[in-house]
Amino acid sequence: MDLEVLWRYAPSLLSGFGVTVMCWSAGGALGLVLGFVIALLYRLRLAPLRWLLRVFIEVFRGTPFLVQLFLLYAGGPYIGLKLSATTAGVLGLGLYSSAYFAEIFRGGFAAVPVGQIEAAMSVGMKPFDVLWRVTLPSALIAAVPPIVNMLIVLSKETVVLSIITVPELMYQMQTMAAETFTAFDAIFAMAAFYWLLVEGVSRLGARLEARVTAFMAEEARPA
Amino acid sequence: MIEIRALHKRFGAHEVLSGVDLTVGHSEVVCLIGPSGSGKSTLLRCVNFLESYDAGDVRIAGKLIGYEDASDGTRRPMGARNLREMRREIGMVFQHFNLWPHMSALHNVAEPLRRVRGLPAAEAEERARAMLKRVGLSDKAAAYPSHLSGGQQQRVAIARALAMQPRLMLFDEPTSALDPELVGEVLEVMKSLAAEGMTMLIVTHEMGFAAHVADRIAFIDAGRIVEQGPPRHVFHESAEPRVRQFLQTYHDRNSF
Repeated sequence: MDLEVLWRYAPSLLSGFGVTVMCWSAGGALGLVLGFVIALLYRLRLAPLRWLLRVFIEVFRGTPFLVQLFLLYAGGPYIGLKLSATTAGVLGLGLYSSAYFAEIFRGGFAAVPVGQIEAAMSVGMKPFDVLWRVTLPSALIAAVPPIVNMLIVLSKETVVLSIITVPELMYQMQTMAAETFTAFDAIFAMAAFYWLLVEGVSRLGARLEARVTAFMAEEARPA
Repeated sequence: MIEIRALHKRFGAHEVLSGVDLTVGHSEVVCLIGPSGSGKSTLLRCVNFLESYDAGDVRIAGKLIGYEDASDGTRRPMGARNLREMRREIGMVFQHFNLWPHMSALHNVAEPLRRVRGLPAAEAEERARAMLKRVGLSDKAAAYPSHLSGGQQQRVAIARALAMQPRLMLFDEPTSALDPELVGEVLEVMKSLAAEGMTMLIVTHEMGFAAHVADRIAFIDAGRIVEQGPPRHVFHESAEPRVRQFLQTYHDRNSF
């Protein structure tokens, strides 16, 4: 372990970490919004629309993120979509994760007991109020643990952005390794940064989960 | 208050209701009894159109629910707004309470008052508190459903329905999901409602309660009402073999 080399490369590693966090949070936010919209559209029960959404989900879940990203960045210009590496990276993460988030939200909606909705209908609530006040809170609460899980998975998918030259942590680490022939030190530093990120996300996730399930009895709360 | 005529309902090939006629008068308490799978709950759910029906009429205070009859004799589904307006007048209590788990007892009761009756928050909560007091749960206003016993949850559910000031109340096996020692508190609330003149249609397996509180008992079997009348008649004088068999089974199971 060469601390002198690490120290010399600290600024570029830190900036790489910053880019990673930025791409991850922007991509994750985009994926959450998009996934939520997809799940809502799915509830409209329009057969052709459902079919389209299904295809979208299957394509983005069924192919490697690496391939999607490469197609978006390298193939985009052929259909008039010229994106900077970072923009393509964020958009790619967003599209990829939206397929998973859509399924998570759909599962959340499906987990709402039908009786809760019937109770709302039996007092004469409007469909929008039923969705907004009854279905949605129940569905979102059920969706929090898998959402946190997916965000953690996504934080590690960001390494793939290095292949389209986004200057994120992996990219900086590879540069350092190539320039100094210190493969082990560089990988160690990178692992430490990712661990930091994942630890932070899962702690925030645990707090969020505790908050949204505060109304549940101890024994009914998911462990 | 409720008039049901020649009601038919099928699930696929299986006919659940095969021509049910039943009326419930103003302030009358009618208990529906019968074996499981006989169509009791389906019948009850047709009254507020949580379940659609295939033929026949269900009228609430003279108005057909769920459909609109055109002058040329055809029938089309009722508009969503009209249906909501009718449902506001019909309180329903479910076997599994169906409280909203993310709202406190108070907000479970206040929510429909705000969203449906359009009351301001303060007024809705004030009325909700009064309703919780009425079912004996003043001290549980802030509690979430998962922190309440089954009996308490069901009383909150009754308060939620009552707060809407319905003209009639439907009960779908309100005590079937409760531990035996919690049944009494729910039945007490229902008794007091009956005593105040609420129109009630109740699906129940509590024969003792039915015998004491109901003005009329309707026995339903295989989608038809095969016997109805005052409790005394149905429980003690019925010549209908299916009623006698059902009651015999009930007695055998409950004697020790």
